[in-house]
Amino acid sequence: MFRTSIGIRHLVCGSCNGCEHEMNALNNTFYDITQDGWDLVASPRHADVVTVTGPMTDAMRMAAKSTLEAVPQPSVVVAIGDCATGEGPWQSAPAGAGAGIELGADVLVRGCPPAPDEIRAGLRAAAELLDSRRSRGHG
Amino acid sequence: MTFYEDVRAECADGVPAGAYADADFAHYVYLSRDGPYALSCSLDGERRLKAVSKAVPLFSWDEREMAQDWAVRFDGLPDDRPLRAQHGEMPAARIASGDGIMRFVVGPVHAGIIECGRFTFSSGGETVVHLDAQLGYAHRGVERALVGAPAVQAASKVARICGGCSAARSYAYALALEALAGVEPEPEIDLARLIAAELERAYNHLADLAASASGAGYAVGFARGMALKERAMRLSRFAYGHRLLFDAIAPGGLGRRVLEDRVQLGTELAEFDRDVHAYVKSLFANTSMTSRWERAGVVAPETLQAFGAVGPAVRAGGGSIDVRAFVPYGAYRRFSPTVARAAASDAFARAEVKRDELLESLLLIRRALHELGNASLPPPQFVEPQPGMALKVVEGPRGTEFVAVHVGQGSRIERIHVISASYRNWPLVARAMDNNIVPDFPLVNKSFNLCYACADR
Repeated sequence: MFRTSIGIRHLVCGSCNGCEHEMNALNNTFYDITQDGWDLVASPRHADVVTVTGPMTDAMRMAAKSTLEAVPQPSVVVAIGDCATGEGPWQSAPAGAGAGIELGADVLVRGCPPAPDEIRAGLRAAAELLDSRRSRGHG
Repeated sequence: MTFYEDVRAECADGVPAGAYADADFAHYVYLSRDGPYALSCSLDGERRLKAVSKAVPLFSWDEREMAQDWAVRFDGLPDDRPLRAQHGEMPAARIASGDGIMRFVVGPVHAGIIECGRFTFSSGGETVVHLDAQLGYAHRGVERALVGAPAVQAASKVARICGGCSAARSYAYALALEALAGVEPEPEIDLARLIAAELERAYNHLADLAASASGAGYAVGFARGMALKERAMRLSRFAYGHRLLFDAIAPGGLGRRVLEDRVQLGTELAEFDRDVHAYVKSLFANTSMTSRWERAGVVAPETLQAFGAVGPAVRAGGGSIDVRAFVPYGAYRRFSPTVARAAASDAFARAEVKRDELLESLLLIRRALHELGNASLPPPQFVEPQPGMALKVVEGPRGTEFVAVHVGQGSRIERIHVISASYRNWPLVARAMDNNIVPDFPLVNKSFNLCYACADR
């Protein structure tokens, strides 16, 4: 029953805050992801899944890597939104080419920003992937 | 008179708003009842200026940014650290020292779903004696990225500089390009733009009130507010095709077909209106929560003035400028809003101002929708900006949103600069924490609820 329960840590790497509005919506009474057995957690040490947004900026690069290193293994990284998946408006900017691309995301959720239901579908895919990694004894 | 003396003198006549530089000039921006304007000075040769921020702290971030990005050499800069990270390294935080003072750092990765920024607190026990709010972690270099872009097509990128004030920025950008092209939007377009701008204010203020309830530990107030914010986003999607109103407003008119089913929209708005009124009534009737807002995060009126505070933050401390009434644009020339004000300049006063503005927004939306009736919305006009510079300002959810655009040959952007309300107000959040207790930081911070993306750009 708890096979796909996940703790989710959100990591912002220079997004416009649009994706954060939609991530926050997952907690409102319309979407309420706690009903899926999912929780947005405050520390990477408590996380199974890390969601990342933004193109990646120079100032965030080191903090982003430290955050991922703090996550217990196995884990899954989900890129949320076009900036993170490498298809956003700032690909030609001095910023990076997509936080999800740089950080090797396993799941890509496109959209500018993706709607809460699309993020939910990406998190579902992440939960299943994590479960298969665990059952393979990976990590 | 020297340029420095001109800039100082102008601060008495106009309302100083910010400053920026380009390859050749420094521009100091002001607002008057005739609109925004700039005093400009050539930087040729030495690129050397006397820092104005020593006398007018409002310009502090602007001058640090001009020094970092445009190699302007300031004499007498009170804070001469770079504004943002250089080569991935953030400059050292300023800390207080003394007996029993301890320091702790929060960020740039935060515990909630929040943008990236670093807060360095110096506290004596529970009491904060100094807070250094360092932003710039969301600096993507959007202004550099837009140089050379065709100005009209760049509107969709301008809409994505910051998600929470996209409609306001798109509006200011459209006004700037229309001014350079000599195009005047039709009255129906003005009405549709007003509705988009007010929907943006409504969902932001609902989120702010909900977050302020959360900051005071009131879970029901948070949940109800966030549910209403979700409904505002769904109304935005229904009316404008996007939950955050991206691309709703575009140069020459509107970015897509909008307001198609006005009968249904009117019905849903009436229901929404009723529920919002019930929500704010119950929220403010909960005195055990509102007493937590009182006297939290007080900013003295002279501090508001010194840092050039804008938006609900300044109107909650006796300020009166709301661009919609101060220099009306578009449909605000006919539907002038009642300017919400309060005096206490604490978290409670900021919530009061946002509550009153939220209800006023709903009223403005209803009036505009009624006036629009069944009128068809004209397709976008052809906009061909001519070489020159345009400076426009609108009132966004957090205050004045300036966009300066310099357009060159072939209607391409030569320089674009954004002075966002959040950029203006961030230094105040730090001042608002002076002598407050550490556990009140979430509450004080959320009573401003500023964006990082449009401050960092």
